[in-house]
Amino acid sequence: MNLFGKKKIKILAPVDGRAVPIAETPDKVFSEKVLGDGVTMLPENGEIVAPVAGTVATIANTRHAVCIEGDEGAEVLIHLGIDTVKLGGKGFTCLVKAGEHVRAGQKLMDMDLDFIRGRGYNTASPCILTNPNQVKKLTFRTGDAEAGKTAVMEYEK
Amino acid sequence: MKNFQYKIKEEEGLHARPAGLLVKCAQGVSSAVTIACHGKQADAKRLFSVMGLAVRQGDVIDVAVSGKSEDADARTMEDFCRKNL
Repeated sequence: MNLFGKKKIKILAPVDGRAVPIAETPDKVFSEKVLGDGVTMLPENGEIVAPVAGTVATIANTRHAVCIEGDEGAEVLIHLGIDTVKLGGKGFTCLVKAGEHVRAGQKLMDMDLDFIRGRGYNTASPCILTNPNQVKKLTFRTGDAEAGKTAVMEYEK
Repeated sequence: MKNFQYKIKEEEGLHARPAGLLVKCAQGVSSAVTIACHGKQADAKRLFSVMGLAVRQGDVIDVAVSGKSEDADARTMEDFCRKNL
């Protein structure tokens, strides 16, 4: 029992940059929340970190998406760039393995923003809670965010 | 329980976008829906579960639909696969 009310769980920015509402993502599958609810990061650099402590559930074969199963129940998908599956893994260096436990803020991936932009892709990176119906009082914070420090989402367990 | 098999034509396999659409479709039916591939099973109503299968183009998925309206729900799922995957 927690006498001070429900526990608030934070989901941290996965990269330095600006967080914008997911509805502003230039891809309907994200803006229409087909995959879940969240924010989209406009990255300032390519250092991608874990938004929550948890287990790396899956890393896309093409390394442009990573799923973290949070210790506190959040299932978070970070999708690095729009349509970047077509890069076939180029521009991404993955630093963790599926099944590995990571700390919140631990570096997961290096994303080569210049390379990806140079190939004509948008680097906007949705950070999505894929099981929003399993949490309560989900709130979002948009604006400038620091990787691994600024909470871009918060919910009650 | 109703089963059907489907060979994935989607170039990118069951990655985020197609997986998300599939999960949305599965969440819309009342039956339990599971997908099996590569000897692993996934709950089709959970995105993480489906993405964890790492299904690629050319893989055959085995879809099992079970519930009171499984006949209609299996048809819904199969139609969805044919149109989208």
